[in-house]
Amino acid sequence: MLTAALNIAIAAVLLAMLLSLWRLLRGPAPEDRVLALDTLYINTIALVLMLSIRFDSRLYFEAALLIAMTGFVGTIALAKYLLRGNLMD
Amino acid sequence: MSLLLIALLPFLCIPLPLLAVHYGRTACAWVTALGPAIALALLLGSAPTVFGGETVTVAWSWLPVLGLELAFVLDGYSLLFAALILGIGLLIILYARYYLSESDPMGRFYAMLLAFMGAMLGIVLSNNLILMVIFWELTSISSFLLIGYWRHLAEARQGARMALTITGAGGLCLLAGVLLLGEIVGSYELTTVLDSGELIRAHPLYELTLVLILLGAFTKSAQVPFHFWLPHAMAAPTPVSAYLHSATMVKAGVFLLARLFPALAGSDLWFFLVSGVGLATLVFGAYGALFKDDLKGLLAYSTISHLGLITLLFGLGTPAGAVAGVFHIINHATFKASLFMSAGIIDHEAGTRDIRRLGGLRHKMPHTMWLATIAAASMAGVPLLNGFISKEMFFAEVVVESERLGAAGWLLPAVATLGGLLSAAYSIRFVHDVFFGDSRESLPKEPHEPPRYMRVPVEVLIGICVAVGVAPALVIGPVLDVAMAGVLRGEVPYYSLALWHGFKLPLFMSVIALGGGLLLYLWRDRAEALHERVFPAITGKGTFEAVLAGAVALSRGITRAFDNGSVQRNLAWLLTAAIVLGGYGLWTGGYSVGDAHQTPAPWAAFGIWAMLLAAMTALVVLHRNRLIALILVGVAGLLSAVTFIYISAPDLALTQLSVEVVSVILLLMALRLLPEHTPRESSAGRRLRDGALAVLGGGGVAAAAYAVMTQPFTTISDYHLVNSVPGGGGSNVVNVILVDFRGFDTFGEITVLGIAAACVFALLAQGASATESAHRESNHPLMLLVGSRVMLPMMVAVALYIFLRGHNLPGGGFIAGLVATVALVTQYMASGIHWSERRFTGSYFPVIGWGLLIAGATGVVSWLFGAPFLTSAYTYVDWPVLGHFEIASAMAFDLGVFLTVVGAVVLMLANLGKQPAHGDKEESSWSS
Amino acid sequence: MEFLIATGIGAMTAAGIYLMLRRRTFPVILGLSLLSYAVNLFLVSSGRIAINQPPVIQAGVSEYTDPLPQALVLTAIVIGFAMTAFVLVLAVKARTETGSDDVDGGA
Repeated sequence: MLTAALNIAIAAVLLAMLLSLWRLLRGPAPEDRVLALDTLYINTIALVLMLSIRFDSRLYFEAALLIAMTGFVGTIALAKYLLRGNLMD
Repeated sequence: MSLLLIALLPFLCIPLPLLAVHYGRTACAWVTALGPAIALALLLGSAPTVFGGETVTVAWSWLPVLGLELAFVLDGYSLLFAALILGIGLLIILYARYYLSESDPMGRFYAMLLAFMGAMLGIVLSNNLILMVIFWELTSISSFLLIGYWRHLAEARQGARMALTITGAGGLCLLAGVLLLGEIVGSYELTTVLDSGELIRAHPLYELTLVLILLGAFTKSAQVPFHFWLPHAMAAPTPVSAYLHSATMVKAGVFLLARLFPALAGSDLWFFLVSGVGLATLVFGAYGALFKDDLKGLLAYSTISHLGLITLLFGLGTPAGAVAGVFHIINHATFKASLFMSAGIIDHEAGTRDIRRLGGLRHKMPHTMWLATIAAASMAGVPLLNGFISKEMFFAEVVVESERLGAAGWLLPAVATLGGLLSAAYSIRFVHDVFFGDSRESLPKEPHEPPRYMRVPVEVLIGICVAVGVAPALVIGPVLDVAMAGVLRGEVPYYSLALWHGFKLPLFMSVIALGGGLLLYLWRDRAEALHERVFPAITGKGTFEAVLAGAVALSRGITRAFDNGSVQRNLAWLLTAAIVLGGYGLWTGGYSVGDAHQTPAPWAAFGIWAMLLAAMTALVVLHRNRLIALILVGVAGLLSAVTFIYISAPDLALTQLSVEVVSVILLLMALRLLPEHTPRESSAGRRLRDGALAVLGGGGVAAAAYAVMTQPFTTISDYHLVNSVPGGGGSNVVNVILVDFRGFDTFGEITVLGIAAACVFALLAQGASATESAHRESNHPLMLLVGSRVMLPMMVAVALYIFLRGHNLPGGGFIAGLVATVALVTQYMASGIHWSERRFTGSYFPVIGWGLLIAGATGVVSWLFGAPFLTSAYTYVDWPVLGHFEIASAMAFDLGVFLTVVGAVVLMLANLGKQPAHGDKEESSWSS
Repeated sequence: MEFLIATGIGAMTAAGIYLMLRRRTFPVILGLSLLSYAVNLFLVSSGRIAINQPPVIQAGVSEYTDPLPQALVLTAIVIGFAMTAFVLVLAVKARTETGSDDVDGGA
């Protein structure tokens, strides 16, 4: 039961990732691409967590934590670039 | 033990003059003299042992695999040379104190002189042939620095370069020869090699070995045809010339001839090569000296000539010849050093050393005149001076050995006499043209006697010349005996140091040489006219420079053919070469896919794979929009992090993720300073070529990766897996490898990281200013500002958490450092550089420094416990709140890694962030 | 799985090579980054693919993937970043000094 649910969830998340990538490639505005990247990161968190559940291991949780953090900071950087051009002013 | 100290003291004292120069010139000279003086005292302290017939040796293993040992030997011969080097070196230090002008950096001079002295001592004391070559090359380098001491003079730089090229190349030949010698004998130990003369001479490689070693000796001793660097080295300050060309540098070559005499001499090849070259050099140098108008030039050519004489004596291959050679080494060192110093005094006080402009100085500089006259007389071979005795010995040997040449036997004594004759002629010229004749009015300076102590070194040397000349058996006899015992390693043949040998052929030759020399001097005008008619102006320098120019042009042509300054062209060549070589390997070696590892792939993996391929395709198509390209590279990074997770590499995933985000920030900051679009400018053909290279390269790598992954393999990692917990005290094997098993590598790597940060800082140092951002101080997006400040403690907590668990669970110093960097950089982005630098720190160099220091100190501490560098230790403690807790010394090392990473990465990012943007950046106008 | 990883490495290499052969600094640097991703993945996978066997010693677990390539690659990632940073700064500096980001030597 859990396996089936997990499989469905993984499939859904993968689909979401593919769609994010599609938006990332299509654009058209740079803001679209940045948002798509952010979403891709968030989906990846889900993917990693579900992988950990399937592997029955806690060793990967920190990776998810780090993806959350770096995704956030990366989005800040891109947003700041679009807004100001200068990241550190 | 004191032998090691003698050999290393000059090196150890190199910093002293550099420090002491701030306390005045005299102090600097005294401090410099300290090291050599102690070394000389130690040396003389060991002298009784050596005179007692013993040979002192010390040895430490250095690189046993290569046969390299830190081994020194003190026998009679090395004692003699070491005493010459140190003794004359001390006199030179005193002389240079008065010679150098106020504007010359004295500390640097003395430091280089000490380096040179140490290298020379190393050559004569080495008991290991490879070690000797190392010191040999050190003399080439340090003499390069000394000759080029006046680096503002083009001729000094040129002369230094020439000396380095010739003697350095000779050193390489010597190295090759020594390696062959070691192969033949089976040992690089000098004393062993010297006792294997029979074996060496019978070996099929003997000829090659001999020629290579002789090339080293001849280049160093300025033998024809490698002589021309020596006159050009006269651009050096005179103390340098006096030192290098009397007792040291050029004597290294003849030292080697004598040192290896028992091992190499005695064959016909040795006789013809060495004595032939020596004879040619003897005559050529003497002839050249006759027509030099520069005092030092004259002495330079005379040095070449006398070196030829010494070489000729060793070339005879007889023990008696070797005795005469060693004796003349001593005599030449004393009279030539004093002559150089006299020439320096004349130059110093009269302002020129052009013989044509000098004259009549006997009135102005009577003391100097006497000193120079005695030294020159010794050079000419006038009786009651040391030069006479060794020249008599030389003539006597030549007469004896002439029988070996059969019908041409008269040639050797005749040419030797000619050499002596020329020598007398230029000696007379040196004295007469400078001190006698009419006084000249047009000298640059009003000549007068030099400072008192500038003459002292000359007086000491002249004293030795006279003492040896008057009572040779008493003064130098015992020294020569013990030195020859060292050279010949056994019985020293009978030789006579008497002044009077009766009316024999050598005396007759001496008379001809002196008388003929006088006549030649009187007829010099006619000789000069003849010289100019007969010899066209082909100089060694011209040839050397033509050869050099040709070599440079050739290399430039080859380089140009591959590299026209285009990175693309370079890379294309590189990739083509890699593809061709890889393809060749595949073609000849065959390509086989194993079936040892075929892991089933879940369909999720296909999804990730498809995304990666799509992203890569899109990247190639869309790369001209740089922001999109950057984002897509970020996607590739994210996907490889996911792959790392899936293939059981959580540490790598964490590292990849945190590097990814700092890379993106870095690239964005660089993008601000670069154009936002890449123009379409490659031709279709070019793109096709690049595409083909990309497909071939990518396909090749994929094929290789697939083949590797599917082959069965054995790993060496079992050791690490087994010993990680018991040996390293950590269960995260990757981290234990980093901080423990391969800690030294990691130490190197964080050092590189620190260096890279320093380079980035240096490149951006100019123009980095945060002034333009000052007015925006209050203009930061509020949401971001507040949000990021709330995030800071959490991110720091994550960093600490990852750091602390790193030894046992995925994490560690690298990752924690990157996470902490991300935390700090977020503040830089949200609140600006000013705000952040006020709160964190303005300079991250101390952070890098502390990091490296802590990591290094952890390694050093293990020495205190008698363990090798970076051995780790760990223990468990029970802490009140935290519970059972492990403390490993590796943790301290990891702290060093952490600090270095934080310091280096933040330093790079913050400095790039400070760069002012150009005005030419187009406004934001991008879309796909 | 091996095939997917191998082709993934190949794709990243190919894209990296293509970008490295462009005439401007920025794509060259991106290409270099991609190439180092590919090389890192290659190095790790040379320790063979193992699923859910991270080299973290745990009681009752006896199968671990090879930790050595991982340790190698971990430092390689960090050094790769330092290299990227250095080359980027060179590119920025070159642009400031010459006003151009062309690396084709004008040929």
